[in-house]
Amino acid sequence: MKIDLSVEAGGVRMASPLLMASGTFGFGREMDAFYDLSILGGICSKGLTVAPRLGNDPPRAAETASGMLNSVGLQNPGIDAFLEHELPFMRQTGCKTIVNIAGYSVEDYVAMAEKLTDEAIDAIELNLSCPNVRTGCMLIGSDPLQLTEVIQAVRAVTDKPIWAKLTPNVTSISQMAVAAADAGADAVVLINTLMGMAVDWKTRRPILKNNTGGLSGPAIKPVALRMVSEVYQQVDIPIIGVGGILCAEDVLDFMVAGASAVQIGTANLISPCAAVKITHDLRQLLGKENLTRISTLTGTLQLWS
Amino acid sequence: MDKIPADPAGQRHGIKYDPVTTCEVAALVRLNSDTSQLTLKAPRIAAAAEPGQFVNLEAGHFLRRPIGVMAVDRQQGLVQLGIRVQGRGTEWLSRLRPGTVLSVMGPLGKGFQLEGYRRVITVGGGTGVFPLYYVQQMCREQGIDGIAVCGYRSKADSVLTDHYRAAGCQVLFASDEGDLDVEGHAAAALEQLLQSLEMDRQEDTLIAACGPNIMMQAVAKIADVYQYDCQVSLEERMACGVGVCLVCVCKTKTKTGEANSRCCVDGPVFPAKEVVW
Ligand SMILES: Cc1cc2nc3c(=O)[nH]c(=O)nc-3n(C[C@H](O)[C@H](O)[C@H](O)COP(=O)(O)OP(=O)(O)OC[C@H]3O[C@@H](n4cnc5c(N)ncnc54)[C@H](O)[C@@H]3O)c2cc1C
Ligand SMILES: Cc1cc2nc3c(=O)[nH]c(=O)nc-3n(C[C@H](O)[C@H](O)[C@H](O)COP(=O)(O)O)c2cc1C
Ligand code: FES
Repeated sequence: MKIDLSVEAGGVRMASPLLMASGTFGFGREMDAFYDLSILGGICSKGLTVAPRLGNDPPRAAETASGMLNSVGLQNPGIDAFLEHELPFMRQTGCKTIVNIAGYSVEDYVAMAEKLTDEAIDAIELNLSCPNVRTGCMLIGSDPLQLTEVIQAVRAVTDKPIWAKLTPNVTSISQMAVAAADAGADAVVLINTLMGMAVDWKTRRPILKNNTGGLSGPAIKPVALRMVSEVYQQVDIPIIGVGGILCAEDVLDFMVAGASAVQIGTANLISPCAAVKITHDLRQLLGKENLTRISTLTGTLQLWS
Repeated sequence: MDKIPADPAGQRHGIKYDPVTTCEVAALVRLNSDTSQLTLKAPRIAAAAEPGQFVNLEAGHFLRRPIGVMAVDRQQGLVQLGIRVQGRGTEWLSRLRPGTVLSVMGPLGKGFQLEGYRRVITVGGGTGVFPLYYVQQMCREQGIDGIAVCGYRSKADSVLTDHYRAAGCQVLFASDEGDLDVEGHAAAALEQLLQSLEMDRQEDTLIAACGPNIMMQAVAKIADVYQYDCQVSLEERMACGVGVCLVCVCKTKTKTGEANSRCCVDGPVFPAKEVVW
C-alpha cells in the first residue's frame, strides 16, 4: 500500500510531518553524515540572534526522570554568519529550511526577518519561548501584548510564512495562541521547554550553572499534548506539535490531538537516526490501519463530553 | 531509551552510517571498590576507535553516558572501558552482566594526535588512567617510546598498574599517600620525570594528559615551561555526543578571542595551548 506522509502546515508543503526541532539538530551538518536528510519534512535551525552568542557557562545539561534540562542559552554564530556559512548547506538537504530566530526586542526580530525575507528559506520560526536568556524571548512570549507586537512587526516586513513558537510557561496557552493567530502568524508551534531545576543536595548547588533550564523529552509529552488539543479548539491556524516525541505512536498522538506536523527534539540526542526509524514505523502503523494519508488524522480526536 | 537495532535494511531507509550499535557485554571485572572494567563485543568500534576517543553508552536512565575507550582487541572485536562509579548511570553500568545487550554509540570525538611523535608521555589521574592506557597500547603497536605517569590517591586506590607494566612502557606511579614510586600527584611526578630526562627530545615528544582539570592545568603549565607539546582530554557533561545540542562546551582560544567548543566533536582532546582553564 502506498502511504502518503506529506502534510501542509503554516504555508509549507512538506514530504513528511517530521521536522527536526531547533537546538537538537544544529544546522543539519552533523546529522547529514548519518542519513539522507531529504526523508525529513524540514529542519528548524538552532535559534539565531542578531549578534553571535557564546551561550551560558557549563554545566548546561542535567538528566531528569524521562527527560533532561538544558541551559544552552542560545549559543549561535549570529544571523549573518548563518546566512553565509550555514544556509547554503541547509538549502541542499532536500527538505524544508525553517529558520528559528530569537530576539531581545521587537527590533531584533524585525532586523532578522528583514535579512531573511529575500533568502531561499521556507519559514521563519519566531522563538518567543527560550527560557535560558535573561531578556527577550520567553519574556516577550509570555505577554500577549508584546507577542502581538512582535508578530505584527515581522508580518509587516516579510511574506514568508511565520511560525510562532510558544512557551508552555504561561497561565493560558490558548490566550497566547489566539494572540499569535490574530497578529498574523501562519502557524503556532507548541511547545518549547518547561522551565525547571535540578539540585545536588550534597553540594547545595543547582546542577546547571544557569541555575534553571528547560525541560524536554518524554516527561513533557502529556503537557504538550494537552496544549495542542486545547489550542486546536481555539484557533484556526495550523499547529505544529513538539514535546517528548520518541516514536511513531507519539507522532500520531500529536496529529490526532490537532497537530498538522510535529517536531522531534530530544529523541535526536539519544538516537541520531531516530527520525529514520520513526518514518519507517509511521508507514507500518498507518498501513496496518489501512490509512493512506497521514494528513487526514489531524484533529480527529474526539474528546469525552 | 529508544533503541535503534542494528538494522540490515538500514540502507533502504536512507541510513548512511548509524553511529549507534547494539553490543553484548562480554565481561565485567571489578578492579577495586569503585571501578570496573567492562568488555563489550563491538567489532565496529574496536576496528575504528583511536586513543582518546569515547563511546556514549546506554546507562539505564534517560541520557547516555560518555566513557573513554581503554583498550581494544581488533582481532576478537572487543572494546574495553574502565568505569568509576560517580552516580546512578555509572553505578548501573558497573552492575552489568555478561550477555546483556547494550546500545552503544561510537567511536566519538577527536582523540590524541600521535602522528609525528617518537615518544609519548601519558599523565593520568583519576579515571584518566583508563583512556591513556589505550594511548600506550597504540604507542607499542606503532613503535613509539612510551612513558606512563599515573597518579592515585593511594596504593589501595591504584588501578591498571599491571596493565601499564605489561604494556612495555616505562612507568612511574605516584600516590598522595606516598605508598607507590613517588609521593604526590601526577603533575608533580611528571616534573620529577622531566628533570631526569635528557633535554634533547622536546621536538619529538608529546605529553598526553587526562584527569581532573586542576591536574591537567598543572601538566599543561609544566609542559609549557619544559617546552613540550601537550594535548589534554577534557570532560564535560554531554547529551548527544555528536555535536548537535551544544551542552558539552568548554572554553577555548581562537584567533579572534574565546569560543565555546564542543567537547564531544571538537574534542575531547585539545592542544593544551588552546584551552582556557
Ligand atoms: C569524553 C569523556 C570521557 C570519559 N571517560 C571516562 C572513563 O573512561 N571512565 C570513567 O569512569 N568516567 C569517564 N567519564 C566521566 C563519566 O562520563 C561520568 O562519570 C558519568 O557520566 C557520570 O554519570 P552518573 O550517572 O554516574 O553520574 P551523575 O549522577 O550524572 O553525576 C554524578 C557526578 O558525576 C559528574 N558528572 C556527570 N556527568 C559527567 C560527565 N559527562 N563528565 C564528567 N563528570 C560528570 C557530576 O558532576 C556529578 O558530580 C568521561 C567523560 C567524558 C566527557
Ligand atoms: C539542547 C536543546 C537546545 C534547544 N535549543 C532551542 C533553540 O535554540 N530554539 C528553540 O526554539 N528551541 C530550542 N529547544 C527546544 C526544542 O526545540 C523543543 O521545543 C523542546 O525540546 C521540546 O521538544 P522535545 O521534548 O522533543 O525535545 C532546545 C531543546 C534542547 C533539548
Ligand atoms: S554533547 Fe551534544 S554537542 Fe556535545
